[in-house]
Amino acid sequence: MLEVIKPGPLSTIQDIGRQGLRHLGVSAAGVIDPVALKLSNTLLSNNDDTAAIEVTIGLCEFHFHAPTNFVIAGADLNAALNDEAIYPCWRYSAKAGDKLTFKQNRDGLRAYLVVEGGFTNIDKLLGSYSTDLMAGFGGIGGRALKQGDKLSYTPSTAKSSVGGLQPSYEKLIHFIPGPHLEIISKQTLSVLNDTIWKVNPSSNRMGIRLSGHSNLVHAHNIATQAVHPGVIQLPPSGEPIILLNDCQTTGGYPIIGTIIRADMRHLSQLGAGDCIHLKSTSLTDATKESHRVQAHLNQLRLALKNKEQ
Amino acid sequence: MSDVSCYLLGEQAIVINATCLPDSKSPINQRLFALKKWLDSSGDFIDVVPAKSSVTAYLKDPRKADAWQHKIQAHWQDLEVAEVKPTHHRIEAFYGKEFGQDFARIADELQLTPKQLIELHSSVDYQVQFIGFLPGFAYLTGLPTALQLPRKSTPITKVPKGSIAIADSYSAIYPSQSPGGWHLIGQTNTTLFDPNSASASLLQPGDIVRFVEKSC
Repeated sequence: MLEVIKPGPLSTIQDIGRQGLRHLGVSAAGVIDPVALKLSNTLLSNNDDTAAIEVTIGLCEFHFHAPTNFVIAGADLNAALNDEAIYPCWRYSAKAGDKLTFKQNRDGLRAYLVVEGGFTNIDKLLGSYSTDLMAGFGGIGGRALKQGDKLSYTPSTAKSSVGGLQPSYEKLIHFIPGPHLEIISKQTLSVLNDTIWKVNPSSNRMGIRLSGHSNLVHAHNIATQAVHPGVIQLPPSGEPIILLNDCQTTGGYPIIGTIIRADMRHLSQLGAGDCIHLKSTSLTDATKESHRVQAHLNQLRLALKNKEQ
Repeated sequence: MSDVSCYLLGEQAIVINATCLPDSKSPINQRLFALKKWLDSSGDFIDVVPAKSSVTAYLKDPRKADAWQHKIQAHWQDLEVAEVKPTHHRIEAFYGKEFGQDFARIADELQLTPKQLIELHSSVDYQVQFIGFLPGFAYLTGLPTALQLPRKSTPITKVPKGSIAIADSYSAIYPSQSPGGWHLIGQTNTTLFDPNSASASLLQPGDIVRFVEKSC
């Protein structure tokens, strides 16, 4: 069992998210960085749908009450096992009584903690373990982890330490131009490409709010249509919002772009004050990038299989 | 007649926008529900999400995007609108007093007696045009013109679960407690959204809803 001693600002149970229920108003939820989760589950030979604890910023402490192997992935939040530094995308083993801490971010915002076999006392609802914070279901009672929470797992014997390469997080993020660019103005695309965007503190798991640009202020509404994580909305204020996993299923702001799927993982690490560049790209290049990420995962799976046979 | 345009939003979402032409006979939404049914039955989509005048279909395999856009354009006029058989729901509603904190003010604003307001609201069949905002929050079209008024300028932070509300050309029921800017006229005990049940949402896109007045 893993006991939550200090949950930090926001720790939640998340897996790959809920699919196929947006027509009922149900958000995807799930990890913001699916690659970090897949790498972790690969290193532990877990099923792909095994859930992680998504840690935000750090300032957390967990105690292991039974032996297990575990992986931390995502941002480097200055993690330590019994005060000895440990690193993202490595598999470690813990004994009963071991203490795992995430001090504070060295770089990035979100880290993932996964144990071998996954947690066994979490709620799987509507096909996913993910915590839907807005609607209040999934994970542990539909809420963020709090002090004293106990997460069960099946104990396992110690394995040797092994690591995988986690692709770096970038601040240059690619998007495919959206359907309502021209409604705002002829320059919208060049403004998006040429501006250094700052991440506002009001950003959360629903969306990343960016600093504004005077040329993007407008007075247009569109007929409410379906939206999804990665969609870039432009409210009248001229401050773009990049939707993330907890976003609503429909929206009435003009859509000026969609972040390519391969770059969604970079969004997981953007915190208040970070500066990013947006760059328009083509569908063909987006597809190539997706294949590259998948190839990286496949390579790791193959390498581990050979090593551990 | 109705016309349709398709585009790809991102890598795997096909947006189908319907625009009504002046000589339109069959309602555009019925055609969109028929489109949803047809796309759902193909097995090629993760999800098909209706909205105000569009349907967004999320592809399992993005490589099929071009083929599907062509298929939709070609098939749009041939959709069997009559084949969509919506489920009918009767929702018990407690109007006014502690159940609808805006009831008295709204009756005043609309220059209706309480009885007229209730009769107007419970005298029509509404249709679930789409679901958004919250899990199970259905946008019900068909609100009588005499009951239409803009949303509150400032939303309140706690709308009670089960609240029956109106705003713009819609009525709705809040499936859970949440912030909200609609005018609250009543409340129901019916469970609208339950993540423990397989269908999750009582109301599905296209369903028909009738409110039935109850008194306690």
